[in-house]
Amino acid sequence: MRIFENTNFAFTESRNVGYIISGTLIVLSLLSLTFNGLELGIDFRGGMEFVVELDEPHTATEVRSALADVLVQAPEVKTYGVENNALIIRAAETGNMREVQTQIVEGLTAAFGASNPQIVKTDIVGPRFAQDLQEGAIYSILGSLLVIFVYILIRFEWRFSVGAVAALFHDVIITLGMFSALRFIVPFSLQVDQTIIAAFLTIVGYSLNDTVVVFDRIREYTGIFKSEKYDVVVNRSINNTLSRTVITSGTTLLVVAILFIFGGEVLRGFAFALLIGIVIGTYSSIFVASPVVLALRQRT
Amino acid sequence: MQGNGLKVFLTAFFLVMSGYYLYPSVQGYFIDKKMDSLTGEELAAYQADNAAKIRTVNEESLKLGLDLLGGMHVTLEIRVDALIQELATDQDETFEAVLAEARDASFDSDVSVIDAFVSSFEARDPNARLSRHFRNEAAGVTRRSTNDEVAAYLRTEADEAVNRAIEIIRDRVDRYGVTEPAIQRQGSRRVIVELPGIEDPDRVRGLLRGTARLEFRLMADPADLVRSLQRVIEYYEVAPDSADSGEDAAAADTTFDVNDLLDNVDGASTNTLLDVFQPIGQSVTFGAVTAADTAAVNDLLFVPEVRALLPRDVKLMYTASPVGTTANGEELFYLIGVLSQTELTGDVITDARVEFDQFTNVPEVSMTMNSEGSRTWARLTGANVGRNVAVVLDGVVYSYPTIQQQINGGRTNITNLDSREEASDIVTVLKSGALPAPVEIVEERTVGPSLGARSINNGLNSVMLGLVLVALFMIFYYRTGGMVADMALILNLLFVLGILAGFNATLTLPGIAGIVLTIGMAVDANVLIFERIREEQSTGKTLKAAVDGGYSKALSAIFDANITTFFVGVILYSFGLGPIQGFAVTLMAGILSSMFTAIVFTRIIFDYMISERRMTVSYG
Repeated sequence: MRIFENTNFAFTESRNVGYIISGTLIVLSLLSLTFNGLELGIDFRGGMEFVVELDEPHTATEVRSALADVLVQAPEVKTYGVENNALIIRAAETGNMREVQTQIVEGLTAAFGASNPQIVKTDIVGPRFAQDLQEGAIYSILGSLLVIFVYILIRFEWRFSVGAVAALFHDVIITLGMFSALRFIVPFSLQVDQTIIAAFLTIVGYSLNDTVVVFDRIREYTGIFKSEKYDVVVNRSINNTLSRTVITSGTTLLVVAILFIFGGEVLRGFAFALLIGIVIGTYSSIFVASPVVLALRQRT
Repeated sequence: MQGNGLKVFLTAFFLVMSGYYLYPSVQGYFIDKKMDSLTGEELAAYQADNAAKIRTVNEESLKLGLDLLGGMHVTLEIRVDALIQELATDQDETFEAVLAEARDASFDSDVSVIDAFVSSFEARDPNARLSRHFRNEAAGVTRRSTNDEVAAYLRTEADEAVNRAIEIIRDRVDRYGVTEPAIQRQGSRRVIVELPGIEDPDRVRGLLRGTARLEFRLMADPADLVRSLQRVIEYYEVAPDSADSGEDAAAADTTFDVNDLLDNVDGASTNTLLDVFQPIGQSVTFGAVTAADTAAVNDLLFVPEVRALLPRDVKLMYTASPVGTTANGEELFYLIGVLSQTELTGDVITDARVEFDQFTNVPEVSMTMNSEGSRTWARLTGANVGRNVAVVLDGVVYSYPTIQQQINGGRTNITNLDSREEASDIVTVLKSGALPAPVEIVEERTVGPSLGARSINNGLNSVMLGLVLVALFMIFYYRTGGMVADMALILNLLFVLGILAGFNATLTLPGIAGIVLTIGMAVDANVLIFERIREEQSTGKTLKAAVDGGYSKALSAIFDANITTFFVGVILYSFGLGPIQGFAVTLMAGILSSMFTAIVFTRIIFDYMISERRMTVSYG
């Protein structure tokens, strides 16, 4: 079976459509990031998070009001996945973490003792540590972009570097935008924590993978079809790699979807970021990276 | 087949290496299975017979992260500010103010406490000498040492403190009995402690954090203490709206009566301190506080303004265990006035063990001192018969018995312990020695074993399902080529696990996610090659020429695309922590191994099929 064999879509001619779609998505993402904001996970914000499993189902409101009595500050309580009647309890970081933890455990036992509450996961991050994690995350994202820029510069030429990094910014902004826009809509947590940063960097790597394959073809065809116009060469390169782009994206999307569905609650946000990122990354290598190279080439 | 000798050799070599490194893991799986089927005596006998084997297998198996195994991950930070204070031989008000500034500065921005301390010290008075505060002939800091030399001395001490802390923590963890703990240094002042399968996080926390600083102190003079209590309460007296409370305060000037003050707050509260604090002022007891109010009371009492109202040589400390309960059943702790000077410290303790009181059977810790300690102890107790001495461990008072007679022979004990566990934990920390500086838990993550087991299950299911679906798709789309690519995929999985085991890396849940992702992305190289072969075939080349062309032309794209992702993996590994590093490792291992299997291994198979067996290979 063959799909997208010998296609001849006019990608470069219709690149304005791509610009409009990307531009709109970026603007919407930035708007959402400004007004809806991102929900930072405790890795970056500091605080305490407990996952509690109960034998009998109890609503988040029930647990919240039970804990509001024992804690100075009422915690945030949400359902956590579908299995085991799990709930996630988030409390702000205060002076005495140990005390808050004891109070939560005692409060739960007092109110829901019959349902045998069990804390199956605890995450406590001090404010200073959270700040360090934040810095680490920012450094790793900037570091990755820089390394990529330089590598493409060495292997290709500066226009390709700019194209690749533009596509990466595009991907990360839109994925962040989706995280922000959907955070009150989807039934799972879209908090940005260390795992999500790992997902972003994977998206960066993946999107780049796609972009480089197209670039490689452009580089090759520029040598072969010297007499042809550059936009024709670029268009042919995109078309001839389209089949590969779609298949690889397909298999990767497939495994990520499996992770999203079967990977469990801990990995859900991570898999979701990858799902969005792979779609956007595939799109951007066709509609952002190569057109940017083309535009830069035509200008100079 | 000629010319492929090296490729075949490499494939076989990697296969053997992976097998070698994964063999203990497979063995471990069967041993676990066997042990699960045994019970009671049979199990004990089996474990005894195979103890050595089980240990080696456990050590060499592929390690699972705490998020899969269940356990506790703690990051400790050495309090360098406390260490500076400790090292200072002369502390005056300037010193304390500078240290407080440095503490704030290091918290707000990313400077080390020592740098902040030195720069704020020099900012205050460029001509002042640090050596004045840190003079210590034994450590080579003399009156003439320059500020740079003193700063270097502080840095060395801080660095050594972290190393010493690691040793001590390791010793404590070993005494507590955790299987395969991992303790490592992170950066300049942090220590990561990983403890698989911990069931009582609370106890471990105390064990890790306890500085084990044992001190014997004499008590404050009761009359002085009562007078200061009075002044402190007045300090917090809100400007009275009624003449009534003003009179009370005035009356209290001459004869102090707690009840007067308590009456005072019966109605509308007029004193911020008395809202959370019950003054007592009898003997050495300053007052009582409920556990919930300690933080509020600390904010009120441990500030410089209040400090100035207390006698200069007196320090307030809490009792370790509750002294009673309030009407609502809340536990009450005493605040006790002790002298700031330490008479004797835990350094002199040579042995400690748990004992039980012969009458009440309550656990206590009995300690033996060295000869120097015994002498000081005898002198101290001899000179203070009839007075109390406080036994202080890590800043809280365990007991303050009245000295009945001079104690010779250097024996003493810590009483008022809650449980046998507490007694044995104290013995553990005393025997391991005191931490060079207090440590703070800045990060703590625990995962219950049930959640970990479920994560393993979810991860394995995802891996299997991903593998099967991707493999089926490849066969469906690329026919024979797909089948070969699938062989490469399975080999790839084996290599990735082999690399993880060989490099002693830890498999975490994000790591498993990385493997699942690798399955999806590993076929990419083969997709690139097969697409190229199809293109070559469509130009009418022979199968062999098309395969040659496909491989050689796809190579640069595969290489460039993979190496950039590999870089991302390297960066993730260097900045990420714990589980994320696990992800980065599988990502990098997956890239290296998939490049090898997709380019080298599949080529061997195709060459064999086409050149040796003259088979027609379909690429769909």
